Amino acid sequence: MELVNKFSTKFAQIKKRNKKEHIDIVVRMFFLISTVISASFILIIIVFISMKGIIPFITDNNGIGSVNVIRFLTGSIWLSGTAFQSNLYSVGFIIINTLYIALLSLLISLPLGVLTALFIAKVAPKKLAEFLRTVVELLASIPSIVYGLFGSGVILVFVYNFADVLGIQSKGGNSVMATVLVLSLMTLPTITAISEVSIRSVGKDIEHGSLALGASKTQTNFKVILASAKSGIFASAILGIGRALGEATAVSLVAGNAKSGPTLAFFETTSTLTSTMLEGLKETTGIDYDIRFSVGIVLMVVIMLTNVILNYIKKKVGNVDVK
Amino acid sequence: MSNKRKLKDCFYQTITYFAAFIAVATLSLIFLFVFINGYKLLDFGLLTNDYYATFYNGALEEGYSFSSTLKPDSLSEDVHYSEKWGLGLVDDKDREGNSIIIIEYVAEDSPLLLMYNKNSEEGIESIEFIEGQLISKIAYFDKGTSLTRTGAKVMISDLDSTETIREIVYSSLGGGIRGSIITTFYLIGITIAIALPIGIFTAIYLNEFAGKNKITNILRSLIEVLTGVPSIIFGLMGLAVFVPLTIKFTQADSANLISGSFTLAVILLPVIIRATEESLKIVPDSLRESSLALGANHTQTTFKVVLPSALPGILTATLLAIGRVIGESAALIFAIGTAVKDDISIFGKSTTLSVHIWSLMKDEPANIELASTIAIVILMIVLTLNIIIKLISKRFIRDLG
Amino acid sequence: MSKKVFEINNLDLFYGDFQALSGININIENNKVTALIGPSGCGKSTFLRSLNRMNDLIDSCSITGEIEFEENNIYETGFDVINLRTKVGMVFQKPNPFPMSIYDNVAYGPRCQGIKDKKILDKIVESSLISAAIYEEVKDRLKANALSLSGGQQQRLCIARAIAMEPEVILMDEPTSALDPIATLKIEELISDLKKDYTIVIVTHNMQQAARISDYTAFFLMGELIEMDKTNKIFTQPTHQKTEDYITGRFG
Repeated sequence: MELVNKFSTKFAQIKKRNKKEHIDIVVRMFFLISTVISASFILIIIVFISMKGIIPFITDNNGIGSVNVIRFLTGSIWLSGTAFQSNLYSVGFIIINTLYIALLSLLISLPLGVLTALFIAKVAPKKLAEFLRTVVELLASIPSIVYGLFGSGVILVFVYNFADVLGIQSKGGNSVMATVLVLSLMTLPTITAISEVSIRSVGKDIEHGSLALGASKTQTNFKVILASAKSGIFASAILGIGRALGEATAVSLVAGNAKSGPTLAFFETTSTLTSTMLEGLKETTGIDYDIRFSVGIVLMVVIMLTNVILNYIKKKVGNVDVK
Repeated sequence: MSNKRKLKDCFYQTITYFAAFIAVATLSLIFLFVFINGYKLLDFGLLTNDYYATFYNGALEEGYSFSSTLKPDSLSEDVHYSEKWGLGLVDDKDREGNSIIIIEYVAEDSPLLLMYNKNSEEGIESIEFIEGQLISKIAYFDKGTSLTRTGAKVMISDLDSTETIREIVYSSLGGGIRGSIITTFYLIGITIAIALPIGIFTAIYLNEFAGKNKITNILRSLIEVLTGVPSIIFGLMGLAVFVPLTIKFTQADSANLISGSFTLAVILLPVIIRATEESLKIVPDSLRESSLALGANHTQTTFKVVLPSALPGILTATLLAIGRVIGESAALIFAIGTAVKDDISIFGKSTTLSVHIWSLMKDEPANIELASTIAIVILMIVLTLNIIIKLISKRFIRDLG
Repeated sequence: MSKKVFEINNLDLFYGDFQALSGININIENNKVTALIGPSGCGKSTFLRSLNRMNDLIDSCSITGEIEFEENNIYETGFDVINLRTKVGMVFQKPNPFPMSIYDNVAYGPRCQGIKDKKILDKIVESSLISAAIYEEVKDRLKANALSLSGGQQQRLCIARAIAMEPEVILMDEPTSALDPIATLKIEELISDLKKDYTIVIVTHNMQQAARISDYTAFFLMGELIEMDKTNKIFTQPTHQKTEDYITGRFG
């Protein structure tokens, strides 16, 4: 009897343990499925946008005729299909516009952001630094559409008047310059926040090494601290340019939506890949609808290539950190 | 130190001050701009009113008697008052900046309160005629119609000189953003309900269960790549994937709130996963080990020990996600459309506050005032979220320390 | 009797309320190596850092008494700290080359002083690297990043960097504690060479090292200077019981 009792308790224990392990496996599977779902979205995005985006090139688009890929990628004029009954869509000039604008905006926001970061991390007294950190956080949390609103309410007016003073007639301020200004304001908080972290994490020993050589505080900040933080600063620039390339609504409010180009002059209207995608929203079928996906593919490729190139440069520049 | 060097130092120091000043100036300018342009329209009515005005056509049955109420002292100089009809009108501007005539006062014995709805198909039906509505047209039997553009003064003198009224066309104020607010809230709720569980489970899997192998790395980097995808691309995905899916499986026949929510959920996944993982990483291993040593299995340990400690992080992630939903515009333009609606159905088109701003600004001419007012609402919500997140993380740090 | 470079009178140093140094009186002789020894936390590094006012970087730090460098009190108001640091160089515990090329590291100090002429800089870099006994190892890759050097090489580069300023004094804060024995030996040889031209003050944990390379040795304990004398004398017949206890390894 005692033996049976003992056996049954043992059996119950084993059963219990098995049940526990069983649950573990089920839960684990459940979590794994969630993870696979999360990870699959990037593939879904690529597959579906490619599938849709390829339609204008391989079908005759209800009699309009298929879009020529080479012409699409290199041409300098964008004609909306249904309005003009044409297949003469080109994003060549828009690609150039997009890169040009992103680069110009980085030329403003990178130095400004890095200097602000340096100020917060090394120059400002503690209380002021804390205040500025909050300011940067707030700027980062303002939705892009509000930047767009600010852009069309303030920056357009500013650009218009500025052009006027120079004797140039701009289209209500809608221009390369307005777009660049809006984008540099939008990327400023990202660049500042990331640069600040990397500047703050520069070792005290490096700073002291410079001061002990008779360098002033400012010389130390500009010559040694920035050099030491350069890989973080570069990372912030990559993020900033990514944001500038992908920003849509704010840009669409100030770019002026030029249909041909490329636009290099500061006060001329321009268009970016994203602002082009926001045109022709009324359509729900047809080439004007499908072409947006084609532009989407181009945008993804542009962003990807930019990232690859910049990361390659970063590795080249920053290979010092390996040791 | 030489003077030249001092000068150079001073210059470099100054440009850092200057750069920091620009950040502050930008923030102040944005707030200043939004508030100056938007504060005039900001009132409770804006938040609760419909966007589209409801129009009424009222007429009077025979056998009414005129009012005998004198102009009350409480009405100001610019209110034009008709003693006969017991009606006080005032000139104003609506949220789009057009001239309107607002009903400022209706006397208790005004005959106009007896009006019936001319458009009603079910016989005589009384209609609401209250202060705050606006009159667009009054037609008479014996003379020409008085219209909004002639102003309140003319309208009142026309009224005073007549005994009968053929028709009064009047309407509610409209231009409110109630619909956009409701859409935004729906969207927040549905999106969080989709994204939060998937995000948290993924974070738990990656941090607690996944082995350190190639497959885990691939999964992780696939999720990581999502962060770099611009939101307009997510919008295209919503248009290509979720809109057709919802049309097929629900009663929706166009872009709708559900497709919008799914699209936003995908955008939020990397945000939630990262924030949750960060907070899971902080949970010390000793806690897990002691739970396991007490005989709890992996699942119990995760749900009873690890997850509660990571709760503040998850809460922060949720708030961040809400902020992102409120601010998102590009993706939603594609995924739920730009149609401003008053009656919200989750299977129908509608628009969020951010997209509403975009539509208003894309109109010709752009309505900066209303857009700024909506921006004030958005900024207020975002600011509040920010403050709460700060408080939570401060508390979290204090508890850990 | 040789010339005094530093003359320290009644030096007290506080970190907030904590007194890190009390009543230090010491003279540092020209062209000699002075070793500062003592257990951890005895104030020897703090003392070293007060000689080029690196303690200024700590907010809560306050000082009374005087440190005279070439007959000027360096803690006098209006004293040019940056000028002081060009004359009193420093080498740190952990090699801390800047993340730039070897050349730029050595040229950094002179450039900060406003020297721009490439020929002059070339000469300074070359002679500094030669003096720091690292030139032969790096002459072919002056443009290479300094962080690609080994730890010992990095430390000698840091010494070259200090020498490039042509200082009167080089302060060394346990310069070999992060290095392997072979690299340590090279640095010790270098120090013996350098004392011909420079006054060297070195903090060391290693008493054998102090005995090998220094002319004078100061023993610190609990923020006080217990004893200072010729190194020979300290290690063979110390005056104080505490010094003897420390040297013979009874504590520390």
